[in-house]
Amino acid sequence: MQSNAALEYDYTVAKLFTYTTILFGFVGMLIGTLIASQLAFPELNYLFGEYGTFSRLRPLHTNIVIFGFTISGVFATFYYFGQRVLKVSMAESKFVMFIGKLHFALYVLLAVGMVISLFLGMSSSKEYAQMEWPLDILTVVVWVLWGVAMFGLIGMRREKALYISLWYYIACFLGVAMLYLFNNMEIPTYFATEGLGSIMHSVSMYSGTNDALVQWWWGHNAVAFVFTVPIVGMIYYFLPKESGQAIYSYKLSLLSFWGLMFVYLWAGSHHLLWSTVPDWMQTMGSVFSIVLILPSWGSAINMLLTMKGEWNQLTDNPLIKFMVLASTFYMLSTLEGPIQAIKSVNAIAHFTDWIPGHVHDGVLGWVSFMIMAGLFHMAPRMFKREIYSKKLMEAQFWLQTTAVVLYFTSMWIAGITQGMMWRAVDEYGNLMYSFIDTVTVLHPYYAIRALAGVLFLTGFVMFAYNMIKTMISSRELTEEPQFKSPMA
Amino acid sequence: MFHWLEKNPFFFAVGVFLVISFAGLIEILPNFAEASRPVVGLKPYTVLELAGREVYKKDNCIACHSQLIRPFKAETDRYGQYSLSGEYAYDRPFLWGSKRTGPDLHRVGNYRTTDWHENHMWDPPSVVPGSIMPAYKHMFTNVADIETAYAEAVTVKNVFHTPYGDEFKGTRAAWEAHKPKVLADAKKIAADMKNKDVKEAVEAGKVPEIVALIAYLNRLK
Amino acid sequence: MNGLIAKALGFAAILIVATIVVVKKMNIDLSDPINIITVIGAIVIAGLTAGVSAKYISQMKSDTASGELADENWDGIGEYKNELPSGWAYSYLGTMIWALWYWTLGYPVNSFSQIGQWNEEVKAYNKKFESIHKNADKATLTAMGESIFLVQCAPCHGNTGDGLSGKAQDFTAGRLSKEQVLYVIKNGSNQLGYQMGAMPPMMAQGKDAEDIATYIANGMKGEQPAAFAACASCHGPDGTGMNGMAPNLKINDDTLVEHVIKHGKKGIIGRMPAFNDRMTPVQIKALATYIRTLRGE
Ligand code: HEC
Ligand code: HEC
Ligand code: HEC
Ligand code: HEM
Ligand code: HEM
Ligand SMILES: [Ca+2]
Ligand SMILES: [Ca+2]
Ligand SMILES: [Cu+2]
Repeated sequence: MQSNAALEYDYTVAKLFTYTTILFGFVGMLIGTLIASQLAFPELNYLFGEYGTFSRLRPLHTNIVIFGFTISGVFATFYYFGQRVLKVSMAESKFVMFIGKLHFALYVLLAVGMVISLFLGMSSSKEYAQMEWPLDILTVVVWVLWGVAMFGLIGMRREKALYISLWYYIACFLGVAMLYLFNNMEIPTYFATEGLGSIMHSVSMYSGTNDALVQWWWGHNAVAFVFTVPIVGMIYYFLPKESGQAIYSYKLSLLSFWGLMFVYLWAGSHHLLWSTVPDWMQTMGSVFSIVLILPSWGSAINMLLTMKGEWNQLTDNPLIKFMVLASTFYMLSTLEGPIQAIKSVNAIAHFTDWIPGHVHDGVLGWVSFMIMAGLFHMAPRMFKREIYSKKLMEAQFWLQTTAVVLYFTSMWIAGITQGMMWRAVDEYGNLMYSFIDTVTVLHPYYAIRALAGVLFLTGFVMFAYNMIKTMISSRELTEEPQFKSPMA
Repeated sequence: MFHWLEKNPFFFAVGVFLVISFAGLIEILPNFAEASRPVVGLKPYTVLELAGREVYKKDNCIACHSQLIRPFKAETDRYGQYSLSGEYAYDRPFLWGSKRTGPDLHRVGNYRTTDWHENHMWDPPSVVPGSIMPAYKHMFTNVADIETAYAEAVTVKNVFHTPYGDEFKGTRAAWEAHKPKVLADAKKIAADMKNKDVKEAVEAGKVPEIVALIAYLNRLK
Repeated sequence: MNGLIAKALGFAAILIVATIVVVKKMNIDLSDPINIITVIGAIVIAGLTAGVSAKYISQMKSDTASGELADENWDGIGEYKNELPSGWAYSYLGTMIWALWYWTLGYPVNSFSQIGQWNEEVKAYNKKFESIHKNADKATLTAMGESIFLVQCAPCHGNTGDGLSGKAQDFTAGRLSKEQVLYVIKNGSNQLGYQMGAMPPMMAQGKDAEDIATYIANGMKGEQPAAFAACASCHGPDGTGMNGMAPNLKINDDTLVEHVIKHGKKGIIGRMPAFNDRMTPVQIKALATYIRTLRGE
């Protein structure tokens, strides 16, 4: 039952989340660059007293880029293309509109609470789940509101079948909900006693090895359902939309999606190789990580084949460049991860800088590139102005590509060197290197990584500038562009 | 069938949920039956140690330090006996970490001492030239929250049956009664330290963060 | 070969070569199986990603999009009904079969024990090294001792053994400083586990104690103060400890180092932890030999 009347989509909420994406992207990467520099130049630890040490700032970096930048990006893109692929406007339902705005308001509250509490050192210390219990509850509320908005829109849809991107967003919603709840089960100590001590403090429901299992079941799948699933959803919308090409193969989309859903969850124990987790679970994590290459590469290949025959677009349109390179970095990290999950390789890679290297070819080359490309594509359509500068976009692309390459090559070399030095024995059979030897040798690589941070951050500032100019002063458009985004 | 699911969002969501919960059921749950049993002789953390653990969490040492010795000779030579599951039975949360910018600390209590930690936390390069670890001077003046640590001990005793003595009760009176024991432990640590402010604070009945932290580090064996 | 693929593989090759060069510079033994597998893994990551992605990207130059379009269309986005790329499909099938095999027949539950593997590793090591070094000469022991010292002891005693301005024993100065001796005379000592047992406190006082301490701190050179007789009954008239019954006050002999490593030591400088089961007898001997060289003995 398709309506022919042109729909006016309402981008109010999408715009709000666009602003927070840019803001948190900047702050998160600024802190990232600072902590990268601290490892090369330790004097930088003392800029803000106890609040400025590497250790206090690191969770701020990870939480701001994950729960601030990436999740904002997911929400912004959802409120944008969700309407379009379902063919309904937010304006058609007061209820959904209200939920959307409430969703944003509480989200901002959550983000502020998160930043303040982490600066103060209130942390449950589990990676990517540092927030204490009151904020956990707020997170759940925010997440449920998103679900209500999403299923509200779906309930009103005019397009019968769900588009691929929405499959991924639904999975993101369900996966994060399930994992977050389990991993954050904790008991506030204040209420378990006669009001003794701090009201913010809690203790985990699980202990030791069990706690580790639940944590990395979450940790690994936070990667899956935050850094992978919705980002794949983004590329499935923005690449064909920007290029005007049809998706290469429905079958490939289908198999990749269900394969990813099934296989990803098994691989969590690759974060616990050689630990005290039972051997068979470790083996499962290793084996399924290898299998995981295929459903991951399936989506990437589907995207690259969608651009088949369109070399001219790749050279003309910087937005296409961003997305094609993102697919390539996605392939890199989803092959690197599985190889690092092989037990023998993990014996070296685990605990070293090779892991942050792997992380950042994913989060910089894939996640950040896709989010920025998505927002660039949305801007002319939301603000009805052409993109402010194509030249700036080109420059940003090359600057940031250089940054990612510097980041991952330096950490790759640093990590492998360090891992092998820890194991090395001399001719007498004793350890060849003291720990500090394996630290000082990394100085040049840490310095290169800090430089990479500066370059990537500069690129992000160019992006922010370009977006802001587009919002306020670029040439106005009379008609919405069908495919290629107009840029000056 | 898949195309049908794509037209029926409710069943689509149910399908996704089933597919993603499957692995957790098979991989995670069995270990809970094996609920982590403490190794023989393992004692729960004292209140002072718990407060130190809280400092470790607050300043997020886990960013650079692991507490998991893997079973490789290179690692057991450097850090001592490989870690056993039962040693972590009272660790809520676990603090294995995932990055070794600094060395593992699971058995650091075996080969470092109070006065060494005092020097090191005040100014790491003074004992390890080239160290990139930040100095934590604020720990010498900030006061540790021993009351919260006590509340944690009581909570895990009541909820998870962690073997604390009968005197651990959730009342303020019980806490006031236990407090001198914590201060006495703190005094023992401070006796091996040189920093004047720390010694004075402990005399005055306060526990600087560094004292609690060192109690915790010394306990890691 | 297509230019793009060549460039991508070229980059991958540079990365791998750079990695190997750096690793080699650190004297890493690349024949260690774990190291070999890691290097192969790295080559696969760089090569495969560069090759495969460049292959698909170069199809953007050469091919054209084609196929039958599905009826549906979302916001202007269409979808082809193309078949799966066969290389991908077969690899997927292959890994699934491999995983099933691995799980059921290859390495079923409980067929591998990492602790068992550790035991094997240690056994093999002991066989290889311990016997070789049983009768090592002084030069070997010194070199071996230095390598252990730098890893295990330097964090306290410093890389040069100078004790980091009084934070631990200074091995470059005399065996004992005056303050150390006075401290022991005053407090006695009962921690090193010598055959003689404990040393009682207050064996000497006042000027006697001063004289003794000065004499010992000087390396027991010059005239022996009469009061030293109080010490000689246990430490021997020459202060060398009566064949290991009590500590040698003159040099760090093997017995002393062994006792300190086994029991730790708390003195006026501070506390040294025991390294009890972390050193083999050969390693302790090597450490003692090396420590003596720090003072030129
Ligand atoms: C920026 C990274 C970093 C942070 C954060 C950090 N450390 Fe370290 N740590 C190191 C490095 C590097 C070393 C090795 C060099 C040295 O001994 O200083 C080290 C060494 C140590 C050692 C000595 C262990 C040994 O075997 O010699 C202890 C103990 C220690 N750190 C405790 C802590 C505590 C407690 C915290 C948190 C309050 C902390 N560290 C935070 C990097 C860090
Ligand atoms: C009763 C026997 C006895 C007498 C008498 C004795 N010692 Fe000792 N001394 C020992 C023993 C046994 C030890 C090792 C104690 C331990 O295990 O800590 C020791 C330890 C020492 C140490 C510390 C060793 C070290 O490596 O730092 C010093 C210094 C020392 N004696 C000096 C003296 C002096 C000076 C006198 C005389 C004033 C003296 N001793 C008299 C038995 C004796
Ligand atoms: C955590 C710090 C620390 C470490 C690690 C350490 N030491 Fe010590 N060591 C000390 C301190 C402090 C003293 C001085 C004790 C005193 O007499 O006050 C000492 C004293 C000694 C002495 C006694 C010297 C004498 O003449 O009485 C020997 C021998 C020694 N150390 C050897 C070693 C060796 C060998 C290692 C490595 C396997 C080592 N130490 C590691 C802190 C340390
Ligand atoms: C097939 C897909 C992937 C597999 C099998 C995989 C595997 C791994 C492995 C083995 C580790 C190291 C664990 C350790 O030894 O500490 C790891 C860490 C990590 N990976 Fe991946 N990876 C994959 C894809 C990705 C992608 C696409 C991203 C991000 C966009 C990503 C982000 C991370 C992060 C953030 C960590 C660090 C976790 C920590 O804090 O320790 N991974 N991954
Ligand atoms: C300017 C760009 C960035 C720089 C310079 C940077 C730098 C860093 C540094 C130095 C670390 C700590 C590594 C360590 O402990 O050794 C880190 C960790 C991390 N960063 Fe970034 N970062 C940047 C951008 C991002 C972005 C955009 C994301 C996500 C979208 C991200 C996600 C992460 C994650 C998940 C970790 C934790 C990795 C782990 O625990 O293994 N970073 N980053
Ligand atoms: Ca939490
Ligand atoms: Ca980590
Ligand atoms: Cu993972």
